[in-house]
Amino acid sequence: MASYDSDDEVDYATDPAWTDITPLPQDDGENPLAQIAYPPEYALAMSYLRGVMAVNDHSARVLDLTADIIGMNAAHYTVWGYRFKTLMALETSNGFNDGKTDWSWRKELDWVQSIAKQYEKNYQIWHHRQLIIDHLNDPTGERDRTNEMFASDSKNYHVWTYRQWLVKRFNLFDAEELEAMDLLLDDDVRNNSAWNHRYFITLGRLGAEDPAEGVIDREIKFAKEAISKAPQNPSPWNYLKAVLRKGNINLASLKDFCERFAPVHPEGEISSSHALDILSEIYDEAGDFVRAEQALVLLAAKYDPVRKNYWRYRKRLLGSDENVLIASEKTPTVHATA
Amino acid sequence: MSYQRRAVNSKARRKVVFPKDWPTMVQIEPLEGQQPRADETVDDVSHPNPYQMAPGRVPVMHLNLPFILDDLKTETSQKQLSTARNIMRSVDQATLPSLDKATHIEFLLNPLDEGLSGGFVGLDASRPWLLYWCINALSALGEDVGVYNERVISSLKPLQHPGGGFGGGNGQAPHVAAAYASILTLTVTSYYASRGLPENERLGVYANSFAWIDREKLLQWLRKIKLPNGGFKVNEGGEEDVRAGYCALVVLALLGYNEEDLRGDLSLGELPLLEGVAGYFKSCQTWEGGIGAKPHAEAHGGYAFCVLAALCLLGDPQEALSENLDFNRLVSWLSARQYAPEGGFSGRTNKLVDGCYSTWVGGCWSLVEAAANAIESSKKSMKVNVGDLWSRKALIRYILTCCQGPYGGLRDKPGIRPDYYHSNYVLLGLSAAQHYYYYDDSSVQSPVLTKSPFRHGYRWKSSKNVPRSSGNDGTGGGWLEGLVEDESDRVGVQHPLFNIPLGAESYLQSWWEWFNDISDVDAIPGEK
Repeated sequence: MASYDSDDEVDYATDPAWTDITPLPQDDGENPLAQIAYPPEYALAMSYLRGVMAVNDHSARVLDLTADIIGMNAAHYTVWGYRFKTLMALETSNGFNDGKTDWSWRKELDWVQSIAKQYEKNYQIWHHRQLIIDHLNDPTGERDRTNEMFASDSKNYHVWTYRQWLVKRFNLFDAEELEAMDLLLDDDVRNNSAWNHRYFITLGRLGAEDPAEGVIDREIKFAKEAISKAPQNPSPWNYLKAVLRKGNINLASLKDFCERFAPVHPEGEISSSHALDILSEIYDEAGDFVRAEQALVLLAAKYDPVRKNYWRYRKRLLGSDENVLIASEKTPTVHATA
Repeated sequence: MSYQRRAVNSKARRKVVFPKDWPTMVQIEPLEGQQPRADETVDDVSHPNPYQMAPGRVPVMHLNLPFILDDLKTETSQKQLSTARNIMRSVDQATLPSLDKATHIEFLLNPLDEGLSGGFVGLDASRPWLLYWCINALSALGEDVGVYNERVISSLKPLQHPGGGFGGGNGQAPHVAAAYASILTLTVTSYYASRGLPENERLGVYANSFAWIDREKLLQWLRKIKLPNGGFKVNEGGEEDVRAGYCALVVLALLGYNEEDLRGDLSLGELPLLEGVAGYFKSCQTWEGGIGAKPHAEAHGGYAFCVLAALCLLGDPQEALSENLDFNRLVSWLSARQYAPEGGFSGRTNKLVDGCYSTWVGGCWSLVEAAANAIESSKKSMKVNVGDLWSRKALIRYILTCCQGPYGGLRDKPGIRPDYYHSNYVLLGLSAAQHYYYYDDSSVQSPVLTKSPFRHGYRWKSSKNVPRSSGNDGTGGGWLEGLVEDESDRVGVQHPLFNIPLGAESYLQSWWEWFNDISDVDAIPGEK
């Protein structure tokens, strides 16, 4: 009876397979507010789920029932939780493939993927997948599943959260992971989620550890090349600052690079407000408050006016020790030469 | 059977039909990809108000695309450009439209008075959220939601789980967001129902609203979702993120648990409930300076609010934000969330503005400015006000011109249908822009509250006068003018951490002090 392919609608009230379950009503209390006028099929399925949960039934038919409900309300975390418990119980009792059913972990994962494509903004689907893959202890094909999701929404927060878990859980800090980010950033250099993941796999995961030889230089080069393609893209600028910070490299080393995009003295064509932002800080650290202020005024007046109050606050902080947006974790080894 | 619902009446037929991917427990993702309704265009929000004061000038930044636009086109830049162009048509109004309170109230009363159609089945695990969003938004619009107190109580009682905590609906597993939204709703309606009553009657209202909550079991349940790393899961077997930690702390703070309750019984293997919590939040600050859902996750406005508000429950803003976080990088990232020409906030770098971030990002500013003021004042050894670090006026312009649905309700952006979630968080954001919220470390607290680990959450005040920045010598200042051109546009004051009407938290606190006092069998009557 049970199948992932079945489109048959089950009428739990008349189906002989469900006669042993007593449907339980929902208690919404007296005169409830914002009550939902449930579609009859949802109300019926939920009453049978309550009946099933009351007798702690974890037989294969529960998978039908929960899939039915999830198809109507994918955010039903209680139903997802009960489904996972059922899957685990079925595995323990070897209840998969009992002749009548043809459930398997693989089919479950395929079904989850199809639901995920229908409901992109959903916490439960990806958490369910995580529980399964954690249990199976096998990440095979999982990166591809997330890549499929990125094809329709490359910034899906839930999918990225899952991807990070996957990489951490199975230690997938490998060339394939870095190449995947190269591809995504090649496709859209403004995909900040991909930048975030890149930082995670190259430097973020290290915590207080030092990065391997050459990684800092490689990432600086990568960020600078990305900036050259689109200098007003904030992601690689933020990334560049973060890499320098991790590498314990003084911000002043970016002075020439930034001035290419934001010549302040003499004032030339400004092609990046982010370069101006960093330059104000570099000038500030070097004690050149006039130019630092000039950069902030340009930002407030012309290049990023909605943040005028913030730039004014930054001006207030000029010359103060606290104005180190890139506070090094150790004493800087490279000093400002300007 | 309980699933037999009353017939849908004619008024209910006006209810919007909602998409299948309706957001889950806390929806803080912008609702991208939704198709605009055919009858709704980008220009539909213009409601010129003849009673408004003389029109001002539209700031130039709202009339033009940013000065620098890169040539390279990608999906992100194309979406951003088309959104900015669309919004430019809406924000370009010399006279700001008024806040159409009457139609928003009608939109928000509808689900409470008429119930919801079957199209809302996707919110069946979020019933307390529906109550909170509608009731809190109504209170912000000046409605007396006290009339709903009894029905809120009877609606929420069946959601309390026998094992402690609250589910998203009757018979559902306990979920921390459900507990959060339930407690907030009760706090709001009890406040309204008891205002102006003599003390004994007020206590009666609170007894009715809160005495049925099994505090001991709730605490035990929260221990089950607490993680050894200092984080929380949203439910047993559920996902871990900072939203869970924030919700848990708000529940603990509003229900008046004391240090001893939280410490737990070591002989039973219970660990202190707040152990490692601040450290966990701290570990969620990212390389960008913003804050993600969990360690290493991308910086996101929704989670940033959760962490900032939670930390400010545990300490004064200065220590909470500057000792736990890299403050300057946080401010830089937060500030970069506000865009022109739109005026609104985005939730992440290179994402689009969305009205709900008026709260998630806009709500962070009171906390951040309180910290900045304290830092600068201690540096200068005098009271310094750094003034606003963001543009209140730009956000107000975005909200009034872009976030009001033509048939009531507030929304993400023009062309997107309003909903209850956005209605609440757009209005809370408007409140953040219209008022000055400040931390008052000189406020006098009761002896019980003074010992509470959450005492800092009870020291927030509000003012209609928003100060301008003072000079480094403490001089200058004055007030920011023109934020609320017509007083009828003003929304209610909101607590910057709890997101409920400011003052409701103190009323509730008074009840707990009274309740815990009489419940303490060891206490000698009359002795404090």
